[in-house]
Amino acid sequence: MVAHIESVAPVAPVEVRDRRAEEIFSLSPGQIAGLSGIPGSGLTRAGLSLIAPYASEGHLAYLDVRGWASPLMAWELGIDPERFIVIRTDDIVIWSRVVGTLLDGMRGVYAEIPRGIKDSALRTLAARARTRRTPLVFRPIAGKLPQGVVHLHLEARDVEWEGTGQGHGALIRRRTLLDASGKATRGMERTIEIEDDGTNHMRVVPNLGSQTSRRFA
Amino acid sequence: MGRRAAEALCPTVVTIERDQSRDMARFEPVVERIESVVPRVEIADPGRAFIPIRGAVAYYGGEQALIERIDKELDAFGDDHRLGLAAGPFAAWQAVQRTSPESRVFVVTDDDAFISQLDVSAIGSEELAATFRWLGITTLGALGELPYDAVISRFGRQGMDAHRIAHGMGRSTSPRDIPPDPGVESSFDPPIQDFEQASFIARNLAQRLIGGLAPHGMAPHRVIVTAIAADGTERVRAWRSADPFDDHTLTDRVRWQLRAWIEGVSAGIRGGISFLRLEPDDLSGSGRQLSLAEDAKEIIEMQRVLMEVQAIAGPDSVLVASPQGGRDPAQQVLWSRWGDEPVSHARDLDAPWPGSIPSPAPALVPPEPVPFVVSWVDGLPEQVRLASRWVPVLSWAGPWRSVGRWWDGESSADRYQIVTSAGAYLCEVREGKTYLLGVYD
Repeated sequence: MVAHIESVAPVAPVEVRDRRAEEIFSLSPGQIAGLSGIPGSGLTRAGLSLIAPYASEGHLAYLDVRGWASPLMAWELGIDPERFIVIRTDDIVIWSRVVGTLLDGMRGVYAEIPRGIKDSALRTLAARARTRRTPLVFRPIAGKLPQGVVHLHLEARDVEWEGTGQGHGALIRRRTLLDASGKATRGMERTIEIEDDGTNHMRVVPNLGSQTSRRFA
Repeated sequence: MGRRAAEALCPTVVTIERDQSRDMARFEPVVERIESVVPRVEIADPGRAFIPIRGAVAYYGGEQALIERIDKELDAFGDDHRLGLAAGPFAAWQAVQRTSPESRVFVVTDDDAFISQLDVSAIGSEELAATFRWLGITTLGALGELPYDAVISRFGRQGMDAHRIAHGMGRSTSPRDIPPDPGVESSFDPPIQDFEQASFIARNLAQRLIGGLAPHGMAPHRVIVTAIAADGTERVRAWRSADPFDDHTLTDRVRWQLRAWIEGVSAGIRGGISFLRLEPDDLSGSGRQLSLAEDAKEIIEMQRVLMEVQAIAGPDSVLVASPQGGRDPAQQVLWSRWGDEPVSHARDLDAPWPGSIPSPAPALVPPEPVPFVVSWVDGLPEQVRLASRWVPVLSWAGPWRSVGRWWDGESSADRYQIVTSAGAYLCEVREGKTYLLGVYD
């Protein structure tokens, strides 16, 4: 019995680290995540996977400012087509009202933020999300989110694709390096790596939080 | 008149509880008599049946001749039957209500004109009808003239159904992926001769049928009950309902039908039932039973919120999508406005679609392909222009060739997945120009 405990002891710290990384890459009801990075860095999928687990309980809303959101990706994340509602508007006058209304009745909200939205409006919406216990993901189209609004801030650092070569193969798997900060990381900036093969929920790659990227954008 | 009022007036009155299975047993011979003229009669309730006459009209030489024939057959059961003839079930039922003991047949020649002059209470909801009247809308014609978007925005799904009725379209059906054989059946040895036993079987089969359809988000509006007697006689009867059947309502219908067959005057089943099959038809997703994970209150709140968003941003802004077949990501998505009738699948989801782009799907797909600047060297992608900078291509896959509808003048295209240090992109080269089809964000 004693020998058995000794044999598993070295593994324990790794498990703790994994659990911590998975805790970071999740949203509880009423928590807000913010995403920063250019299109192509994997943030749409990462952000949606944060609220995807709530699709089993109700409907999710995607506020599509660019008009480019594709539900195919949501379906691949396991979200029922009937439970994925896309709202397309780039009107900054009504944007806050729309997000506020969605927070009242949807189980999770992913909102792209158009240019020109005031910080005070974002803070008000964040407070409403906390009150209504609706998980919310903010994705600014340009610029940065104000300080203190989000529980988890994810900034894309690097993305690496597997499967393609010089004309052969096809995209198979993506590894995305994200810099995580905010209350979720207890004030410390952490790097988490996420693996995504497009067929299920994204998963946090074990024990890669301290690794550096092999390539930078 | 209520029971107490009746007993006050006549102390010796006997109250008999309504027994629909007994009513059905009495109605069954009526249906059989109609079926001797027109097959596949659909029963809505004991005493109310819909008769699809499209094929029979030609056989009997016209609507008038057919109606006279049915009327003559029903004379055997007395003279209190009524007949309404229209193009759809809703108008036909409304036509029946225009009949009188003196004039037992009412024929609607123009469904649209007939429906438009009906009172707004015909939509079936007194509360909604009262609201419409308060707004000055007293007929279905006036309701039908209201803008569809405005009715949806103000009254939601209930308003949508009312508007559809006002246009003579009846209720909606949702096209969905239907399981290959959704019917349920059971064989019995020895055959069932006892009504109580048949009731138990009816409940079991109804629960299996509804339970099997529920994961697909469907419920039937029409169910075909087929029974085979021990002597090989096959009996078939269709039941229909404006609201989708749940397991309780379907159990009742099957029970009534089995009782009618087992104990009915015409003794339709000799030697008991050896085989029973329930086959759903006319499936829709409206009014289906909620699953355990669904909360009715939450769904109502969600609907209220989305209606409010429609009012703020416009009905075209709130969208749902359903999967369909296609080669490009944009083709594989069928968009429809939330709350609207789902559009039929234009492309077969199960077709092979050779040349389609494999999974994973791009997260961002422009509504139309947008020009994309790629530097090609000897036919191979070398650099991609993103905003103001050139980014080297690290790897790529393709081309997946799409021949296009050449008979419509559509040119062929080569699709590529291009990977750069900034991300991966799906693009196509058509007539020498490169377009962006999606971003793997």
